[in-house]
Amino acid sequence: MKTFELHDATTVQQAVTLLGQLGPTAKVLGGGSDLISGVMKDWIQGKGMPLPSALVDITTIPQMTTIQVSGSGARIGAAATLTSIIEHQEIRRGWPLLVDATESVASPLIRNFGTLGGNINQRPRCWFLRGEKFDCYKKGGDFCFAVTGDNRYHAIIGGELCYIVHPSDTATALVALSAKTKIAGPQGEREVAFDEYFIGPRTDVLRENILQQNELMTEVSLPPLASNTKTAWIKLKDRQVYDFALVSVAAVVTSENGVWRDGRIVLGGVSPVPYRAKVVEDALQGKDIRANITAAAGAIRSVARPMSANSYKVDIAQGLIERAVLQALA
Amino acid sequence: MPQRSIDAFKVLSDYEYAATLTNEEWLSLSGNPEYHTLIADDPSLAEELIARFGMLVPGFSAALAAAASVPLTGFGPTVNRLAGRGGGSAAPSNAEFSIVGTSVPRTHGFGVVTGVGRYSENQTLPNMLFMKTLGSPYPHARIRSIDTSKAEALPGVHYILHRFNLPEGYQDVSLGSGPPFRYLFNEELIQVGAPVAVVAADSDHIGDEAIRQIQVDYEVLPAVVDFMEGTRPSTPKQWDNRLDGTILTIASPFVRGDVERGFAEADIVIENVTSMSTIQHAALELTTDLTWWSTEGARPQLTQIGPKRHAHGARSAIAQALKVDQSQVRVITPGYLGMSFGSFRDTDLPEIHSALLSWLTGRPIRFMSTRSEDMVTRTHRTQTRNESKIGVKRDGSITAFFTKKYGNAGAYRGGGGTGNSLGLAELYTIPNLRQENIDVFTNMYRYGSYRCTTHPNDTLAREPLIERAAYAINMNPLDFRLRNLSEVGNPETRRPFSNPGIRDTITQTAAAIGWREKWHAPKTREVRPGVFHGIGMACHECNHGAGGAPSTGSVVINADGTLTVVSGAAEVGPGERTVMAMIAAETLGIPMNRTRISPDVDSDFTADTGVTAGSRQTLSGGWGIHLAALDARAQLLDWGARKFVDDARVAGQTIQVSADQLDVRDGLVSFKDDPERRLPIAQVIAFASNPIIGRGAHIHPPTWERVAFATHAAEVEVDTVTGTISVTKYVAAHDVGRALNRMATEQQIEGGVIVGLGLALTEQLLVDGATGIPINDNILDYKVPTIKDVPEKIDVIMVENAKEYGVFGAHGIGEPPAALGFSVMVNAVYNAVGVWVEDMPLTREKVLNALKGR
Repeated sequence: MKTFELHDATTVQQAVTLLGQLGPTAKVLGGGSDLISGVMKDWIQGKGMPLPSALVDITTIPQMTTIQVSGSGARIGAAATLTSIIEHQEIRRGWPLLVDATESVASPLIRNFGTLGGNINQRPRCWFLRGEKFDCYKKGGDFCFAVTGDNRYHAIIGGELCYIVHPSDTATALVALSAKTKIAGPQGEREVAFDEYFIGPRTDVLRENILQQNELMTEVSLPPLASNTKTAWIKLKDRQVYDFALVSVAAVVTSENGVWRDGRIVLGGVSPVPYRAKVVEDALQGKDIRANITAAAGAIRSVARPMSANSYKVDIAQGLIERAVLQALA
Repeated sequence: MPQRSIDAFKVLSDYEYAATLTNEEWLSLSGNPEYHTLIADDPSLAEELIARFGMLVPGFSAALAAAASVPLTGFGPTVNRLAGRGGGSAAPSNAEFSIVGTSVPRTHGFGVVTGVGRYSENQTLPNMLFMKTLGSPYPHARIRSIDTSKAEALPGVHYILHRFNLPEGYQDVSLGSGPPFRYLFNEELIQVGAPVAVVAADSDHIGDEAIRQIQVDYEVLPAVVDFMEGTRPSTPKQWDNRLDGTILTIASPFVRGDVERGFAEADIVIENVTSMSTIQHAALELTTDLTWWSTEGARPQLTQIGPKRHAHGARSAIAQALKVDQSQVRVITPGYLGMSFGSFRDTDLPEIHSALLSWLTGRPIRFMSTRSEDMVTRTHRTQTRNESKIGVKRDGSITAFFTKKYGNAGAYRGGGGTGNSLGLAELYTIPNLRQENIDVFTNMYRYGSYRCTTHPNDTLAREPLIERAAYAINMNPLDFRLRNLSEVGNPETRRPFSNPGIRDTITQTAAAIGWREKWHAPKTREVRPGVFHGIGMACHECNHGAGGAPSTGSVVINADGTLTVVSGAAEVGPGERTVMAMIAAETLGIPMNRTRISPDVDSDFTADTGVTAGSRQTLSGGWGIHLAALDARAQLLDWGARKFVDDARVAGQTIQVSADQLDVRDGLVSFKDDPERRLPIAQVIAFASNPIIGRGAHIHPPTWERVAFATHAAEVEVDTVTGTISVTKYVAAHDVGRALNRMATEQQIEGGVIVGLGLALTEQLLVDGATGIPINDNILDYKVPTIKDVPEKIDVIMVENAKEYGVFGAHGIGEPPAALGFSVMVNAVYNAVGVWVEDMPLTREKVLNALKGR
């Protein structure tokens, strides 16, 4: 691994100042399971993805690890560990979807170290991006190797230039739960809905979200679930621990007498961002869910553009949307 | 020394070449580590060679001489079970043993489960430097120049070694056979990761930075990434090759009868293509060596500690590569390790680089590879493609079978995982049989053994087609197998099986899984919406576990009556050392808690008993130890007799006692007819004035067809929405001869089943087709199953048909359990959803594509 400086921040302000002072190759460090033992250990770098020369540890900022729940919702520090979310009784009661998604991440060991902010902001798992010898678009190169190569795990929706899929389970759940995040930067704090947070390769191929290098995600806030709302989480993976989603579905369903009133269906593992399946939601609007879910789930095919080797993921996405919605109703 | 270097692989595959060897050159093969690894991994390679060159073939001459004096008996087409002859009723039951047949915990299990055992990674020396390798980024390229000046300027970098500054005399050193050659550093790189330079630095991290500061100018050359492309005449040759493209060998076909006539006689002829992907061990322990020179004595002495499966083989390989004497090299393999099942197959380039860097820097060198280096540059079981064809009659008889196998040998000159299948030759009655084998070189993952070499692929080339044939004639696959079973031996060599248990493995598996009740027509049992139940089975036969030379051991009975077992059999995980101790303790009547065996093997203190491969150590090291213990026992009883006589003399009596009147049990030497007249062993040793040293060296006569038999069956649920295959029940029955350590044998079978399922369902090592660069050379993307991915319960059935050639009747069990998973899954998935998916692994994309007819 390349030598780097490590700074322990004790306040958000100090962390932001350090990021500014240390410059473009300084990075925020959470649990480090992706940044250190992934990106840095494997020398994943390029013109547009310099290896960090300095890390600012934010798990040393006490306020960033807290979880608070009140009548107006939950506030989770971005440096809270995944395990602390899973074990939080009020979160378990109020947002089981987030808990299920969090519990499906990696393994107990990684969840003990990994933070919520880290899980949301981790870099994608594309095997070309993660291969030291492939200089791809995302690293500042001029090629996407997935287009000509083995793309069995790549995007089936919304790929363009680059065909990564967003790797985060918690991000998928948070979009479904209409969550927001706070971002601290040199100009102070701002709040952004997760609906606006993730960006695709057309916007900026070098990033997966709007966070700037000198900014820091400090907090995630969850509104309470509306009444008559039920949720479900399904994550399909090739291995039951230590694996990312092949396809995941976060379903939030508000219904009356089995009729869809409101809700969100968000897919992980299929698109460069957590993908909100509006076509399916629209097809269910005002309809009896059980009677119409099969046809509605099929609407996902209208937005899917599979690559040479991943049309099977479209079948799976369609099947799992149906199963997740029915599971939420059950 | 011979004038030319002998190509071991060529000797075993090209008999014209073998015919040119002089007697001296034949002799030199006995010291060739590659030769021994090749025949240990695949004993059948030597068969044809022995048939043609007999006594010249190293490792077999004594056995052949012994066999020549004993005519083969008990073989004939009408003999189905060799009752009485093969040990069966005549063999002693487990009740007659005190240690053999029980469950004995590992002799060094505590250090394994707690981690306090000294693993190679724990070995350190003051002043040691760390070695890092710069590997080729291309599958095929030529180095134009190397500039190390920037890397050398990094503080903490001590030495950089590469092709152009290799010490005089090492430019021509290569490992294994050629062409193409694998030199210490190639100018023409033939594989991604092939070493370009090595750095000795103060730490791993400095070395890691340094290798990235080395400037190399490469000329990129066309590479063969697809092995079938390597068979085409238009593919550029990479050496002076008289065959098409990069084909290494086209073996002489195995021919029995006339397959064309057989197919003409058949009512139904069915063909299929099965294929295996490249798989790797993903051993938890990475390649780790500590290497240093010492200068005590007249000549420099090299020591290397690291996980290896053959200390003496490594010693010989290192000595050859360094051009020193074997007496100048000492290799220690710690018994604490997380490797093998075929990984660390042979001594590889980093082991030699470490020795050179240690010499050049005068410091100990520590090398630990990265996961990617282990997954890319060590050995693999590589891709195969099998084109098979079976002819059957409606009455259930097989008229003919044909296979043509292609194997991807990867970036070296050697076998590619093909070979003639014993399972076809002798598991079923097949009157007309033809087998063809073609091995191809590619600039890809290098071939080796992974829980066997060729046999899992043999079984894949046969068992799904057997099942297809049964379905085609509307016969239950269980009945089809039983109807065609051959329990005789090898029709070509006329060597008989010893007490074969194949029928028992089939019937007991069928009973345990409830085959008769559960088997159904394909895709007829939907258990939940979109989820279908299926059941499948496969049989297996291979010649692993047979043992062979070298086969040595020694034991020492100490002054206090305790036993020290000295064996060169390397522990590679399943408990070889424990079994060696058990065999000695049982033979000598000394309890296990008075018996010691070291976990490690040190080439300085042990005799060679061959590589721990081919599932051979229970019989190879085991026979050596058994004979050593018998030798010690004879001496002990002799001294015991003298001691009884002397005790009587002291008491004023005169008696006559001979050793054959005595027995030894539970650490006491006693009279057979009066067990109360007894002496503790310590008293006998005190009387003898010296510890007793027993030695053993066994000749394995080729009297019997020594083979392992197994049957596995599984129930699965296949989800037609997700393509998920869930194994709900798995039964594995093996003819183990005798389970020496009951617990270890069971674990070995369970572990093999898990490996087999991982390989069948998720594991495959991939490369980018356009660049030839590996894409999943890590254990996140190379999907080894976890404990959450395996069936909760695996029913293990041990059929104990004692073998006449076995130590206490045992047959080795290492590899066979991992060989059936592929075929069982193919067959069960067909029964569940009615599609044949025969390209390994059975990923959800293949299952879904097959269901959709894509």
